[in-house]
Amino acid sequence: MVSPVVVTVALIAWAFSVHLPLVYTVLGLGWLLPTLELLGYRSGRRTYIDIAHGLSNYLIAVYAIGGVFGTIVTVFLAGLLPVFTNIAGVLLWPIWGIAIVFGVAIALPLIGLYYRSFNRLSPIKHITVGYAMAITLTVIPAMFRLVFAFINYPAGVLITPSSASNTGFTLSVNLTETLSNPTYPPLLLATLFGAIAMTGILLSSIHGWRYASSRDEYHELGHRVGNIVGLTFGILYSIFVIWYLYTVYQYSPTVAWSILGHPPSYLPSTFYDLYKPTFNLSWMFYMNIVLGAIILALLVVSIKVTSKPIEALKLILTPMLMDSAEVMNGLAHVPYAIVPPVTAAEALIKAYGLSFALNVAKWLTISQLLTPQINALLSLVSVQPGLLLGSLVFFAFFNALLLYVIYAVLSWRRSSA
Amino acid sequence: MGYSPLLPITWNVILDEARWLSAIGILAHLSLASSFLGTILIAVVAEFLYLTRHDKDWYDKARMFSVVSTIFFGVGAAFGTLVEFGLVTIWSNFITIIGSAIVLPFYLELFAFLTEVILLPLYVFTWGKVRNGWVHWVIGLAAAFGGYWSAYNILAVMASLSMRPPGMIVQNLAASNQTIAGLTSYLVTWAKPTDAWNMFWWGANVFIFHGILAAAILTWSVVSAIYLYGYMHEHRPDQAKVLKVLIPGVAIMTAIEGFVLGHDQGELVLQFDPLKLAAIEGMFWKGLKVDPLLSFLAYGTFNHTFWGYYSWPANVRPPLAPFDFLPIFYLGFMVTLGVLLGVWSGGLSLWYLFNGFFSRFHWAKVIASFLERTGPYTMPLFAALASIGGAVTSESGRVPFILVESSPSLNGGPPMVTGVPIYEGGLINPNLSLPGWLIALIIVVEVAMPALAVYMVYLYTRPRREKPTQVVEY
Repeated sequence: MVSPVVVTVALIAWAFSVHLPLVYTVLGLGWLLPTLELLGYRSGRRTYIDIAHGLSNYLIAVYAIGGVFGTIVTVFLAGLLPVFTNIAGVLLWPIWGIAIVFGVAIALPLIGLYYRSFNRLSPIKHITVGYAMAITLTVIPAMFRLVFAFINYPAGVLITPSSASNTGFTLSVNLTETLSNPTYPPLLLATLFGAIAMTGILLSSIHGWRYASSRDEYHELGHRVGNIVGLTFGILYSIFVIWYLYTVYQYSPTVAWSILGHPPSYLPSTFYDLYKPTFNLSWMFYMNIVLGAIILALLVVSIKVTSKPIEALKLILTPMLMDSAEVMNGLAHVPYAIVPPVTAAEALIKAYGLSFALNVAKWLTISQLLTPQINALLSLVSVQPGLLLGSLVFFAFFNALLLYVIYAVLSWRRSSA
Repeated sequence: MGYSPLLPITWNVILDEARWLSAIGILAHLSLASSFLGTILIAVVAEFLYLTRHDKDWYDKARMFSVVSTIFFGVGAAFGTLVEFGLVTIWSNFITIIGSAIVLPFYLELFAFLTEVILLPLYVFTWGKVRNGWVHWVIGLAAAFGGYWSAYNILAVMASLSMRPPGMIVQNLAASNQTIAGLTSYLVTWAKPTDAWNMFWWGANVFIFHGILAAAILTWSVVSAIYLYGYMHEHRPDQAKVLKVLIPGVAIMTAIEGFVLGHDQGELVLQFDPLKLAAIEGMFWKGLKVDPLLSFLAYGTFNHTFWGYYSWPANVRPPLAPFDFLPIFYLGFMVTLGVLLGVWSGGLSLWYLFNGFFSRFHWAKVIASFLERTGPYTMPLFAALASIGGAVTSESGRVPFILVESSPSLNGGPPMVTGVPIYEGGLINPNLSLPGWLIALIIVVEVAMPALAVYMVYLYTRPRREKPTQVVEY
């Protein structure tokens, strides 16, 4: 029987690795489309607007499929880590609330309005709708990245011993302090710039591929703009990733240890057992650096030369780098769901003793938060393993079907153009 | 309006605010989900009629309704996420209950959702591109199946909230001064792991199909009303064709809803939740008393006694303030207006399907004229209010509990009603605060999203003269 922790981590990692490239694309398109329109009206060059209009056809579909995988992530979290998700809901409810009200409930109708009102609203009004859409779309990562920062370093959390609680303690949070999480600003900015860079590179790849055959102005412009956006925002992304790694090194020892392959220098050796990661992901870290360097080189070459192999490589390697970086960041927390800060560990030992501090740390691990004794899905799968096996086959089938549908929709629309 | 006399008054206010937000949100989501379920069904039926009759009108209708259903699906899916996060933020402790007990329908719903979200765009994008029309129809049928399967799972969860499934164990840990992570005193588990499948027990299936049929009736009634309005003004043949399919569809579904599923649903409430029965039937007395009409409907006699609403202590009774709304929503909206919808749709069905026979009679013409003139307004109104009545009856009737169960009293009193309470220690987020501006903002969003979906559908379906534009496809 496969370990429940492995099943949980694998299912959540899979859902995230499909969800994230899609929502990165939505975020990138959200900012690129009104900007392309603006450039078109400013320069008087209609092709910019045509590119924006063509791309807007796909925004809702990508958003909807990305949103479904977001729901899948939520169901996995609630079903497999119920106590963790419950605590996250209770402590961070304003963050979820803002993300959903602005980022989903308002953003989606705005996407629909932006798409449906092309050529029906005045240029300035339509561009305004576009930027309103981009801002509301940005609220989602602005809030969700705060949760990611929280699991790196739970700033603002207060732990109180409680004999009534089955965990032995209760948690409360100071949200103002949560916002001051040092890993949050670089993570958010890296996400935003990374999303725009990835979308720009995907745009340049598709247009470059077509331009290599057709040599028309429309694809030449899309290829050129995409490359410039990809290169500029890719460099910004790299800068903020370095900043993020620095803060993670300072504040999240398990994550830093997993990514770099060795414990941070400030970590006392007595804490090594406590903070040792399950996975050594340094190979993934170096692979990502190499991937980033290759993409950079491809972008530089692509600005000078347009060839199908280069564009195809850009198209494949860029989402691969994004997924690899995100999966690495997520897996680096294991065995923890929330990495306990070193300062908190020291303070808890001082205030309540070593065994209490170890109990808190134990309850922050994924294996403990799975609460196997009261986890209905794990219990069911343990007696009916076919359910899990069938699910994996089903998920694999839908992954393949999703890729086929994306391909089919792109090729059918092209053939009908 | 108090849920528990032990709770501070501020908590009762927060509970009311949270319930209003959830109620409006769920009703808005239901309207979008119902619209999707109804319109995708119309698309599939219309395409089937096109394939069998080779009538271009049906092709146009099928294509149009497939796009309309996609608009409702997109906005509805986003709204579903809003509702889902409403659970996480407002009723946070429900998450632990999902994980410890009711996860299975949510898990299976993922597959349904994947089916919808992948096949629906495929269906919409491949009109005229798949050589074999039946293959395209099967794609649409599978997309529609995904939608109905999704509804099936979510309604299974809602059924469990009103009727605790067999094998589910609810423990109140407060007796032993225990909590789960300091968040809730209630632990919900199954007697054995495979009991998780009891989320789909036969009682849940009655609830589920009652809900699914209500969704289809609502949408088909609204679409019928729009076509009826158009037909009364324009008398186009394509409008008549649609009316001859949709209105009999409404009549048949309403008959099944009332005579079969509604009856079974009533039997379940009678059997499993006598307090909800007392509240919705307006039995506002204390102790046992004969209710001749209900006695006849339930038992075929006129002298059966029922426990009145005030037989139970105040802290387990569903709230009635600010007015006795439960009997109004149940008897007034759901039952009476449901019957009237059946009368309107049934009358019009007879007129359209057997016009040759009935048009010989003057009285039939008078009645049909009245039904046709009033139908565009009454049919959607009756269907909407009946649906709202049913939803409110079901969800408010079980308050202040979820996972409700009744068991015989040991001292000869009314049956004991138990469940997980929605108030502090039960479901609600103990950290929650809801300032007025936040409530206003959420309600605006909850109302604006369905309105925008309708506006987008209007933009798509309205006749238009477009300026030529250059759009280059990828």
